[in-house]
Amino acid sequence: MSEEAPGRVLIIEDQQAQAELARLFIAGLGYEARIASSAAQAHDVALEWRPDGILLDIELPDYNGLELLSRLRAAGVDAVVVVVTASASMELAKQAIRAGAEDYVVKPYNRDRLGVTLRNALEKRTLSRTRRALESALDDTKTRLEAAKAQLGSTGYADFVGSSPKMRAVYDTLQGVAASKASVFITGESGTGKELAAEALHKMSPRARRTFVPLNCGAIPRDLLESEVFGHIKGAFTGATTDRVGAAKLSDGGTLFLDEIGEMPLEMQVKLLRFVQTGTFSPVGSSKLEKVDVRFVCATNRDPLLEIEAGRFREDLYYRLYVVPLELPPLRDRSEDVLLLARHFLAQFGQEERKAFTGFSPEAELMLLAYPWPGNVRQLQNVVRNIVVLNSGPVVEAGMIPAPVNRAGATPPARLAPPVPAPAPEPAPVAKLAPAPVPVQEPPAPHGVIVPAPEPEPAPAPAATLRVDPEQEILPLAEMERRMVLAALMRTGNDIPRAASLLEVNPSTIYRKMLQWRKDGLIPAETRR
Amino acid sequence: MPVDPVFAADLANDLSAVDYVRLLHLFRQDVTQLSEAISRAAAAADEAGFRRAAHGLAGAAGAVGAQELEAACRTVMAPGHINEELAASAERIAALAAATLADIATALDRAAGR
Repeated sequence: MSEEAPGRVLIIEDQQAQAELARLFIAGLGYEARIASSAAQAHDVALEWRPDGILLDIELPDYNGLELLSRLRAAGVDAVVVVVTASASMELAKQAIRAGAEDYVVKPYNRDRLGVTLRNALEKRTLSRTRRALESALDDTKTRLEAAKAQLGSTGYADFVGSSPKMRAVYDTLQGVAASKASVFITGESGTGKELAAEALHKMSPRARRTFVPLNCGAIPRDLLESEVFGHIKGAFTGATTDRVGAAKLSDGGTLFLDEIGEMPLEMQVKLLRFVQTGTFSPVGSSKLEKVDVRFVCATNRDPLLEIEAGRFREDLYYRLYVVPLELPPLRDRSEDVLLLARHFLAQFGQEERKAFTGFSPEAELMLLAYPWPGNVRQLQNVVRNIVVLNSGPVVEAGMIPAPVNRAGATPPARLAPPVPAPAPEPAPVAKLAPAPVPVQEPPAPHGVIVPAPEPEPAPAPAATLRVDPEQEILPLAEMERRMVLAALMRTGNDIPRAASLLEVNPSTIYRKMLQWRKDGLIPAETRR
Repeated sequence: MPVDPVFAADLANDLSAVDYVRLLHLFRQDVTQLSEAISRAAAAADEAGFRRAAHGLAGAAGAVGAQELEAACRTVMAPGHINEELAASAERIAALAAATLADIATALDRAAGR
């Protein structure tokens, strides 16, 4: 049997006899007790001794018990507080309850009365701790379920839509880092979803119940940025007519998202660095330091290392913030997500605009797939909204696709990789070189019925061991390319991403070529993936 | 009766004999010091000092069930007492404190004999 006391109780009472009586009662109930006779002493003892319960007299010689209670809570003391009051100061006791005290006991009290009140309060504390532990376990389970869902091939994660390998890598990072307090540095082109990623991190973190404060450093005038981040006090500058709380304070316990951090002026970067290092700041015009618990998530569409090199971004700040890097891929590098996203937006905007759109026609889909999307997901989102607003549905036809997306098939987009080689003028050099063992197929049937390849997929052979058949039929390179693409599509059951993988090209290259071949009448209109 | 006999009996019951006696001694010391402080503050028209001492005495009185003394102290703790009232209140409190001390002395004698 343990000899340990069932709990520690700090008695805050300036009146000697009253304090001693409480101590005798509490010790008699089996608790370990200490006495503090002033608010300042109580503050120190509470921080050092970490009591489970506090018996608090409201009227203290230095400052009153309500203020002490608020200071203790701010300092993280989570002991249950039972206020001791004379009937004359019941109103104060009620105020104390509103300020976070658990219960009150009226003087004079006997041992039983004090014991019941104290035990109930401490029991509530135990229950509340148990509840918090259970909630935390539940949150963990939810997080793991989210991860499992993402891994089971869902088409999105948090508020993201996309199942491409690059996005799965993003989801993995989000999942891995969400529960930590580590700073996250998000890079990516405009429109790739940097703020969405920051919000996802916040929502999946233990800070989800507190505030997510986004701040676009590039959109705030230089002179106002410090006040936006740290707040100001009345009279700090012309126009500061009242105190104003800044983003740092608002995000206490939550997440502060500093978007376009590369736009932050250097002098402000120095102040931010101090804040990141110490967790403390002073509102503009105030000399009082405030301490907060903030998780930092930053984003930029610039290359941070180039910015450091150019002297526009402080290296020390960069290394403070660049703890976990997260790179969001441009949409052109995850073309397999284009249709998922387009359908998602079509459903969303169709519902918002009360229009019954059901999907995209094959031609329209090919146009979307062939376009490089320099404005990324945001541009796609805007294009789909434009289509929904200006048209009625139910199917989005190619004619509804606005410029410049509707010109995507006409010229190969410059940013698409890899570039398609031009057809060779003469066939001879092809034979002289060491070509891959091309399984030559019959040309497509007149109505585009693609004949399945009879042979199994050949394993890619190292260049040195390639066999060349000089008797092989020689065809224009463009024709061979078309046949290869169609063969790959047949072999993969018209799965364009897989076919692209076999051919080691970007899926959008196949989409673009099919669009062009269809325009040129080289494959029938109904042939699609 | 200066000290509530029921409360006093409860107190004697809840505490060990040694603790009970120690508490009564402590109380006697507090009442003596605080009622003197009240008188000094009243004489100096020190309203804040008066209220502070009255608050302390009210707490001490409450601890041993000296309800009349406690009530008198709480009544005079409200701000805004003019000087004449301070002096009159101090006298009343001193009288109640003396009666309470007499009760405590009896209780101590009884405790010593038990």
